[in-house]
Amino acid sequence: MDNIKAEAITIEERSPFQVVMMRFVRHRLAMVSMAVMIIIFIATILAPYITSYKIDELNVNNYFLPFGATDEDGRVHYLGTDNIGRDYFSRLIYAGRISLTVALLSVLISETIGILVGAVSGFYGGWVDAVLMRFVEFMLTIPTLPLLLIISSMLLRNENLIPIPESVLKVVGDIMLLGPKDARNAILIVIVLAGFGWLSAAQLMRGTILSLREQTFVEASRSLGATDIWIIFKHMIPNAMAPIIVDASLGLAGYVVAEAALAFLGFGIQDPIPTWGNMLSATQQYMFDKPWLPLVPGLPIFICSLAFNYIGDGLRDALDPRLKL
Amino acid sequence: MTAYLIRRVLQSILVVFISAVASYVLLSFAPGGPLSGLRQITQSGRFRITEEDIARIRASFELDLNLPIRFSRWLVGVPRGPLTIGGKEYFGDAVVGCRKPIEAEITNSRGVTEIITVGCKEEVLLKDLVGRRTSRGILLGDFGLSWRLLRDRPVSDLIESRIPKTLQLIGLETLLSLIIGIPLGIYSAVKQYSRFDYIFTTLAFMGSAMPSFFFGLLFILLFSILPKNAGQAYIPAGLSESVRNYTIPLIGEVIAGSAKDRTLHLILPVAVLTILNIAGWSRFIRASMLDVLRQDYVRTARAKGLGQKMVIMKHALRNALIPFITIVVFTIPGLFGGAIITESIFAWPGMGRLYILALGDYDYPVAMALFFILSVLTVIATLLRDILYTIADPRIRLH
Repeated sequence: MDNIKAEAITIEERSPFQVVMMRFVRHRLAMVSMAVMIIIFIATILAPYITSYKIDELNVNNYFLPFGATDEDGRVHYLGTDNIGRDYFSRLIYAGRISLTVALLSVLISETIGILVGAVSGFYGGWVDAVLMRFVEFMLTIPTLPLLLIISSMLLRNENLIPIPESVLKVVGDIMLLGPKDARNAILIVIVLAGFGWLSAAQLMRGTILSLREQTFVEASRSLGATDIWIIFKHMIPNAMAPIIVDASLGLAGYVVAEAALAFLGFGIQDPIPTWGNMLSATQQYMFDKPWLPLVPGLPIFICSLAFNYIGDGLRDALDPRLKL
Repeated sequence: MTAYLIRRVLQSILVVFISAVASYVLLSFAPGGPLSGLRQITQSGRFRITEEDIARIRASFELDLNLPIRFSRWLVGVPRGPLTIGGKEYFGDAVVGCRKPIEAEITNSRGVTEIITVGCKEEVLLKDLVGRRTSRGILLGDFGLSWRLLRDRPVSDLIESRIPKTLQLIGLETLLSLIIGIPLGIYSAVKQYSRFDYIFTTLAFMGSAMPSFFFGLLFILLFSILPKNAGQAYIPAGLSESVRNYTIPLIGEVIAGSAKDRTLHLILPVAVLTILNIAGWSRFIRASMLDVLRQDYVRTARAKGLGQKMVIMKHALRNALIPFITIVVFTIPGLFGGAIITESIFAWPGMGRLYILALGDYDYPVAMALFFILSVLTVIATLLRDILYTIADPRIRLH
């Protein structure tokens, strides 16, 4: 009897982080998605070790080899070869590395810009807020996809228009396993995508900051003599992160699809560099004879998009159950 | 309300103007155009096209004019010559462009040789513009001449033939999505946590994560290629009508260009657009319906003994549709964007596909015209949405 009583009163204390994690772990589909994405990430990180071909290695006269064909060196084309004899499996893995890096970089850049713009706009209000938010609203009224197409077609034909430091090219090139020239192409797409992606994050951030601004802890902090910068970075942004994290996760799905869509339409990362989008685009003309071909690069796009969406959904449920749509 | 409307309309005009300037400037930085390739044409070792020819071609496409002048002529059709006030001409000698630029080859720091313009041999003066062929400006619906797709023919000819095709797709898509999507969303909300609701929400979630280009290819595979290869009845994909007659098992012979042919070609693109659209819309209806069903007035309606049908249709649905209307209005301009991808997959001869062709083929007047039309449509839809908000929900005050 004593035991039961003791159990009833002592409630194990949990930090907010633990509470969120517990709720997130309970979202089954988000957990499955998490597992799938971890496998895909590990595969792309280990790309040079699990693939036996380079992305531009041609196997002359071996066009459209079937799944599991072996070449004279005994290496296996797990998914066969493409129309000019390049190993499909290797290209798919490397493409994943490039597509996912593009998506991650775009999310990182767009959320950072969005957080800063939204925080400044919401915190200061007045004309700063008016100017910034009118600009965001203006950008949101422009039809996005047509404008993305114009900008990327212009940038791709005029690659040197935006100067990109050599060091950035080298670092990004090393992550994507590409030379500096190819890395420039990928970075341009990141710039195009992130250049429009920060708008919704800024609006989201501003809304949260507006409600936080009136809270007593901000007032308390100010009465202790805290500077604006301190309040914004120490109190505002950390407290407003929940919706941003959800937005970032959904944003990853959006960027994977957007990058693939641009490449699919011919205005994204161009062919010798593999991405899921341009591989899918290339299968179009052969799908009449080889109907399984579009599935190979198409399914990873869909799986990543779905997984990031489920993770975002799970995070939303975990971080703030009221936000559920 | 009136003051708000006036301010919003002025704002919208500004948005359209700025986006027109921005995209015009962007595209004028892009290389290519009617001159690309011409310089390389040689005959017995010599360039066949003389400097004079190039100057003439440049003039016919207005490439010899400075950017602001060219933009102003494109937008509103002026200046057409010197300013005439009371019979006297002004600014006739103002320089507005360069007929024959001096070009130099330089090698940049990365070792790439580039041709850049360093000066001007022969300038274009404002008075030279008199008598030049000019458009009335896109604001008056004159989009100028196409550069490459239909060389020297008016852009409006190209676009006019494409608009009905896109409207056909989008109109059918919207109609079908409303007819199918709203009942699905309502039913799913009313039967929350039922098996139907579970399956529906899962499918709708997948649908909204599905990239339209992959979905389109899957549809072509499943309903066109695979059945055709297997000798079964299939649905034709690609173009809006076929070139020659064909026979489909079960359906029989189809005459190219007939109503039957065109209907068959509509099925797949409309199905792809509609299904993806329903996934988004009905999810929204469901959420908004669930929200309303929790309200006190619904409980009151139930408490006073109204039937389930009455409660749902009269009390809940009307209120649930309010936010939905604005969503529908706002997605309409997005539909044109979505049509770009779907039209490309199905080689559907609409505006979206024309846009891709024009951008890919350096036909910038066509691309600009389409972009301008899309911007105007988007801005109008945004304006409509904000006005509808207030009509649907009087609690929202305009300021």
